Amino acid sequence: MRSFDYFAPQSLGDATSLLRRYGSKSRLLAGGTDLLLRLERRLTEPSVVIDLKKIRALSGIKASGKGLRIGAVTLMEEIASSPLAQGRYGIIAKGAAAVGSIQTQNRATLGGNLCNASPAADTAPPLIALSARARIASSRRDREVPLEEFFLGPGKTCLQPNELLKEIFIPAPAGRSGGSFQRCTRTAMDIALVNCAVFLSLAPKRETIADIRIALGAVAPTPLRARPAEDVLRGKNPDKGAVEEAADRAAAGASPIDDIRSSASYRRDMVRILTRRAIEEALKEALGSRQQKKWQR
Amino acid sequence: MNHVGKIIGKPILRKDAPGKVAGEARYVDDLALPGMIYGKVLRSPHPHARVRSIDASRALKHPGVLAVLTAQDIPGANSIGAIIKDQPILCGDVVRFAGDAVAVVAAETERAAEEAMAQVVVNYEVLPAVMDPLKAMEPGAPSVHPAGNIGTHFKARRGDVQAALRDAAVVLERRFFTQRIEHAYMEPEGAVAAVDPQGGITIWSSTQYPHRDREEVSRMLGLPQSRVRVHQMTTGGGFGGKLTPHAQCCAALIAWKTGRPAKVKYQRDESIIASHKRHPYVMDLKLGATKEGKLLAIEATLVGDTGAYLYEGRAVITKSVTHVTGPYYIPSVKADGYAVFTHTVPCGAMRGYGIPQIAFALESLMDELATRVGLDPIEVRMRNALDTTLPTATGQVLHASVPFKEMLQRTKRAADSFKPLLAKAPKGKRRGIGVGCSTRSIGSIRKSSRSTAIVTLSPDGSVTIACGHVDLGQGSDIMMAQVAAEVLGVDVDRIQLLTNDTAVAPDCESTSASRVTYLSGNAVRLAAEKVRRQVLELAGRDLGCDPEDLRLVDGVVAYRERGITLADLFNRHVYHEITAVADFMPETEPLDPETGQGSAAGTYSFSTHAALVDVDEGTGQVQVLRYAAVCDVGRLINPITVEGQVRGGVMMGIGYALTEEVKVNGGVSNPSFATYLVPTSFDVPEEISVEIVEDPEPTGPFGAKGFAEGTLDPVGAAVANAVSAAIGVRVVRLPMTSERVHALLHEPSS
Repeated sequence: MRSFDYFAPQSLGDATSLLRRYGSKSRLLAGGTDLLLRLERRLTEPSVVIDLKKIRALSGIKASGKGLRIGAVTLMEEIASSPLAQGRYGIIAKGAAAVGSIQTQNRATLGGNLCNASPAADTAPPLIALSARARIASSRRDREVPLEEFFLGPGKTCLQPNELLKEIFIPAPAGRSGGSFQRCTRTAMDIALVNCAVFLSLAPKRETIADIRIALGAVAPTPLRARPAEDVLRGKNPDKGAVEEAADRAAAGASPIDDIRSSASYRRDMVRILTRRAIEEALKEALGSRQQKKWQR
Repeated sequence: MNHVGKIIGKPILRKDAPGKVAGEARYVDDLALPGMIYGKVLRSPHPHARVRSIDASRALKHPGVLAVLTAQDIPGANSIGAIIKDQPILCGDVVRFAGDAVAVVAAETERAAEEAMAQVVVNYEVLPAVMDPLKAMEPGAPSVHPAGNIGTHFKARRGDVQAALRDAAVVLERRFFTQRIEHAYMEPEGAVAAVDPQGGITIWSSTQYPHRDREEVSRMLGLPQSRVRVHQMTTGGGFGGKLTPHAQCCAALIAWKTGRPAKVKYQRDESIIASHKRHPYVMDLKLGATKEGKLLAIEATLVGDTGAYLYEGRAVITKSVTHVTGPYYIPSVKADGYAVFTHTVPCGAMRGYGIPQIAFALESLMDELATRVGLDPIEVRMRNALDTTLPTATGQVLHASVPFKEMLQRTKRAADSFKPLLAKAPKGKRRGIGVGCSTRSIGSIRKSSRSTAIVTLSPDGSVTIACGHVDLGQGSDIMMAQVAAEVLGVDVDRIQLLTNDTAVAPDCESTSASRVTYLSGNAVRLAAEKVRRQVLELAGRDLGCDPEDLRLVDGVVAYRERGITLADLFNRHVYHEITAVADFMPETEPLDPETGQGSAAGTYSFSTHAALVDVDEGTGQVQVLRYAAVCDVGRLINPITVEGQVRGGVMMGIGYALTEEVKVNGGVSNPSFATYLVPTSFDVPEEISVEIVEDPEPTGPFGAKGFAEGTLDPVGAAVANAVSAAIGVRVVRLPMTSERVHALLHEPSS
């Protein structure tokens, strides 16, 4: 590991000023579960490391009528166990609970997982399925992008050298909705071979799918929206055949690779299996919540 | 003995446990000596190459670098290996696997050593390599060693196998494959070495066998063994992997050449790339039986890939061949085992030592036999079970402590308790039950084993035991303490073990081969009994009574209401302490080199396991839901330690069954725990039930015998049989990764 200067700013303003000054010579540190390995292996050799953990504004989960805000340095463990990230937002809690070990979840942050931009990141598909938006800050201006546009390639995001990810915003889902997060791994603590999140909402008083978003991980250079699969189901009252067709389309649209973990053909088949399971589970949840509402009335 | 059972069999907490939990235990990497420097090993990137030249001139100019040492710098023998010394410590002319060592760089800091290592220029002439054992056996294959690629051919012969197979109503035949796996001990290899002013050298190491460290370092430096002293530090696991002291030799060479204390520790990737593995096998088995399921004959060809060196391969293949009939009586036997060289990472000792492979193949065929003859899997095993009258594959009849049939009955109960769950498989899952059985000889297979202990009783009633079998975390120290405490009537807290220093502990051979309880438990018992006898005789003389009527309890010799303290007794007879030495060597008969017949060991231990698994129809993922292990320990000395061993062995076996595989593509291509997958606590059943059967071994200490490796031996077999039952397709290859099982589910013909 090469030596570097370490800063631990207390405010967002101080952090963005440091970023303005050091830009690409610096690396941002949150939980460090990815950065420290890269430093150790000399895959990155920054002259400055800016630790964001002391900035209170970047941490925590806040719910309002508009939606859910999750600060970039919120721990996986906090997300996995927060009562605010349950229910209709539950798939992000499931994604956070799937990252690494319990020790990792007590250290790793949401922003770190997203900014590391691994195609297999377990928090990305649930957030994309939930229509999440990335709120980005810099000393010049703040901006907001849909999370699916945040990723450019393995390890690459749309962040400029002077920018940092401030928080994730998930708009409150309308009406009856259901979600599912599925992953396929070799052991419980393994990086996902494939992961898949589905979030759908039903049309008022009907069993028709008003909208559906399907996001896949580890099958392309970035987390992937399976739009052709969504199109099969949007506006439909789905039957088994439609779900199978959507799953087939998701598999056809994936471009997985052969690597030491598994073959591309197995991954492609897993996209089909996981997508089908995720749609089924999400539908079940959406229909179930309607029954629950009836019961509450 | 008048107070047997006071301490034997009690769940006494090991002394090392609290310190390990609290992070206070000191491992070799916690050791820092004044002026200590660091060594890094430069390894070949090529599987097979000639070393034309090594240019260290730039590396030597790097700040902080003290030396770059190569084969030419080794003063004594440049060879190492647990049994056969055929691996160069530093390769002088030829490298035989990607990972073979060519130089060590010594520097003031690890960083400097690492940076300088990148500046050593080795000119290699790349040579053709052979990576597959079956190809290596073909004529014209590149040679790994001049004498050819078949390192060993070991045979077992009994009866007329061809005639028996011709007459058999049922003949089953299959080829099975097992993989290369890594020990994955928590602590990678490491050592510190320092020369002493008298011209000797001291080593501190993570090791299973300090006396072998001593032997190898003395050979390398050309020093008498008496001038080399080895301290075993707290060792974070061994499982057979810490029997070749390469890091120790590298540290010793640096210390010897520079005069500075030196530390060499392997990083995790280095440990996976360069340390030896479990042998992958290709096994052709043919089994003949009557239509009632009675076994008649076995024909087996076992090819074990020993990698670049044979140091343990000959004994591993011998173990497999001598155990080819498993825990069954098979009248006719023809087995040929080959340890074959390839240009891959060497394979050597690993918990199980040739048994998990053969158990997987044989137990798979036993299940097929059960199906073929329409019997329950337990029943077909019961019909062929060894007892105290029937011979093993080597012709040895075990006259006592063969509780295999009772164990099968217990496993039947466990498997029956799983049966109601079969119908409760969730949608999309297929559920199956499998059993797996095994047996193993305790101790070395190709030679006799001897253990020696020195027991010293002090006047205050405290006891010191010197015995060279080191504890690797499995709990042998508490076993020895309980044995001595039982004999000498003292609390285990009054007993101090000295196992980890070659200057005081006698050489007992390695902590391996499930031998420590049987061999050293006996040596400690015998030495303690000698001490006790001497004390009671002295006291009997003073008290005017028969020593048989005396009791030795808590430092006092008691006779009815009278008593004499050890301090008084010793004082009166001018003893400062009383010491006795004893050794134990079971009776064995060497194996005939042509037929493999002989008495391989003093005792055998048996294992019968049952597993309940779910297979996900969509993903092929296997989940072990329930596991029941029945173990044969002769006599239980410490239940906590035994149960810990069993759970650990079963979990390790589940890794072997499902996910672990060292992949070789030139060199090892998955040298990290992100790519080499050891099961986590989430991947094993929440509860592993452990049943202990006690059928005392008359030659064992208080009836005890070894069992450690038996905890892992049949796990691959049991899980494979459960998976085969669940999916209706016979599994012939380990590990049963999701992807492989998925393929079996969808293309049954493959």
